Amino acid sequence: MSDWLLVDGARRLLADTCTHEVVQAAEAEGWSAVIWDALAVSGYADLAGLGLADALAVLTVAGEHAAPVPLAEAALAGWLLGGSVEGSVSVVAPGGSGGLSLNGGLLSGAARRVPWGRAVERVVALVDGQAVMIRTALATRVERRTNLAGEPRDTVVFDGARVEEARPAACDLNERGALTRAALMAGALGAMARLTIHYAGERRQFGRPIAAFQAVQQHLVSLAQDASLVGLAAEHAGRTPAPFEIAAAKQLASHAALTATRAAHQVHGAMGMTQEYRLHHFSRRLWAWRSEYGDEQHWARWLGVAVVRAGADNLYPAITGGSAVI
Amino acid sequence: MLFEVTDLEEGELALQREVREFLAVELPRGTFQPGLGMGAPRDRVFSAKLASRGWIGMALPGRHGGHDRGAVERFVVNEELLRWGAPVGHHWVADRQTGPVINRFGTEEQKQRFLPAICRGELSFAIGMSEPEAGSDLAAVRTRAARVDGGWTVTGTKVWTSGAHASDWFIVLCRTGDDEDRHEGLSQLIVDLRSEGLTIRPIPFLDGHSEFNEVSLEEVFVPDELVLGAVGQGWAQNTSELAYERGGPERWLSTYLLVEELVRERGDALGDRGLLLLGDAVARWWGLRRLSLSVARTIDRGEAPAVQSALVKEMGTRFEQDLLAALQELVDVEPVMDADSLFERLLVAAVLTGPSFTIRGGTNEILRSVAAKRLGAL
Repeated sequence: MSDWLLVDGARRLLADTCTHEVVQAAEAEGWSAVIWDALAVSGYADLAGLGLADALAVLTVAGEHAAPVPLAEAALAGWLLGGSVEGSVSVVAPGGSGGLSLNGGLLSGAARRVPWGRAVERVVALVDGQAVMIRTALATRVERRTNLAGEPRDTVVFDGARVEEARPAACDLNERGALTRAALMAGALGAMARLTIHYAGERRQFGRPIAAFQAVQQHLVSLAQDASLVGLAAEHAGRTPAPFEIAAAKQLASHAALTATRAAHQVHGAMGMTQEYRLHHFSRRLWAWRSEYGDEQHWARWLGVAVVRAGADNLYPAITGGSAVI
Repeated sequence: MLFEVTDLEEGELALQREVREFLAVELPRGTFQPGLGMGAPRDRVFSAKLASRGWIGMALPGRHGGHDRGAVERFVVNEELLRWGAPVGHHWVADRQTGPVINRFGTEEQKQRFLPAICRGELSFAIGMSEPEAGSDLAAVRTRAARVDGGWTVTGTKVWTSGAHASDWFIVLCRTGDDEDRHEGLSQLIVDLRSEGLTIRPIPFLDGHSEFNEVSLEEVFVPDELVLGAVGQGWAQNTSELAYERGGPERWLSTYLLVEELVRERGDALGDRGLLLLGDAVARWWGLRRLSLSVARTIDRGEAPAVQSALVKEMGTRFEQDLLAALQELVDVEPVMDADSLFERLLVAAVLTGPSFTIRGGTNEILRSVAAKRLGAL
């Protein structure tokens, strides 16, 4: 189980700092230095230094508050290098590092879709099976790219820049990346469900709260179901961070990103269509995270192949035993 | 969080292995026609074998023939039986809900009379709730019990009563008072299905089977000692009985065997669409099972997770139907009732019974209303 005090501390810190205005402003500025510094001072920036369950619990809290900082990347960098990383750091997902090459300790090429590439001090990428770390100050240029949530996913270009560290990757980046996204999404889904349920109780039309309408209630129930399903799945995958559990959790999370955002927006009506209201902090992040580190189809295919290989007799044992069976 | 994370403990995993070994020996694949979850056939001999292993009435007290085990252990046994397609029909209702409600509301005499026989897998119960004018709106029941010397005479009609023709008893929800309030004046009576004045007329189900019945009661005498719980408390008792019905693995495993057979018969030729369908289903089973297990663990802590159960049942049964539709779209099959392929026979059975998944035990629309009223706790 995760450390309650530690997680609750993160929740209070982010509840205080991730106000609607700050999260909104971070979109224009690319990130929130205020939030990052607050997290760093309290020790949360070194997520890899915590136990895995604790780190994921903190990420779920970050998802609940749409924290506009590279917290998941900090965890991934530490896990890849097998230790802590000083300062702010990002990680290039495997799909974005194909253009990089390493020659005599010198890195060249473009790293694509780098989370907060413009703001972090260092970047970690997988090149030729090695996890390499390099200072972003050595980049020849940074092209600004932005995901659906307004979070930086920049192109960072190097031309023979010396890496600080190169060592065999200490974890499977695809799996751990998916695990961080599942944790973030679990938090965002829970927060989005609570926000929507609360709104439906307050918003009055036709003389009564819209939550009194059965057609609206159906959306609220489906939101609660998605949030519960993904919340439990992500927590389980964190306790058993093995391929089957991670695949299933991210598959469910990415699928829920489609169904839950649709329900939440429908309940909110036009109110949810503006950036003046908080809903978009969650719905847009869910859409963005849905496709990072494998969407629902990617992981469904992975699971499908795995269970066919295991055979029909092992299908139910796989559902109950997960990675212990296949 | 509505649901707390939980895992099977060592003893529970040992029980799972034990049930799997039992099924492989007692009911080897290919030697029986598997059923679709709780819609599986009745088999008194099989129920007796389960009972002799202590797997019926597991959560009932030992002094009444039960086994003093919990909801999680019952979950472990039942998910294995259901996914195997085992013939659980004879004891299903008695084990899941009649046993627990008699244990909760019954007199000592009723417990001694019924519970040991339920736990031996002998007694089979049906459910006497629905009436022609009382489907989802159960408080509209009209079946009436009139006070007579030493008991009650019951008159009315129960309908869509699964298994009444093959069961021994059913619990009848009926009016015992003149109260204007729909929820007051209701009581539950334990009624012998072979009573004088009671007529059972089979109603053919969509798939041609005659599991459904109409049960007419014409001044059927029920002695005082067969009133379940307090006279006039039928509504509250019945609501709690419904809670036992919800949230278990039978709400998401009805179409499981189709997929297992699909993998067995056509695993090499699924194609990308088939693999996607399979992987999506596996993830959802894994997630739903976690929620369902969490409900069972909560029950073992002495809580009544009504909202959680409603959420799981609604989501699980919807998934059962979504999966069936996806399978129908995936395979190019002109279904026939007596196909050689087990997958195709199961597909036919699922198509013809599938609409009931989201109706039986409370329609999904009612479940959503039940859950929505209490979502503030999220």
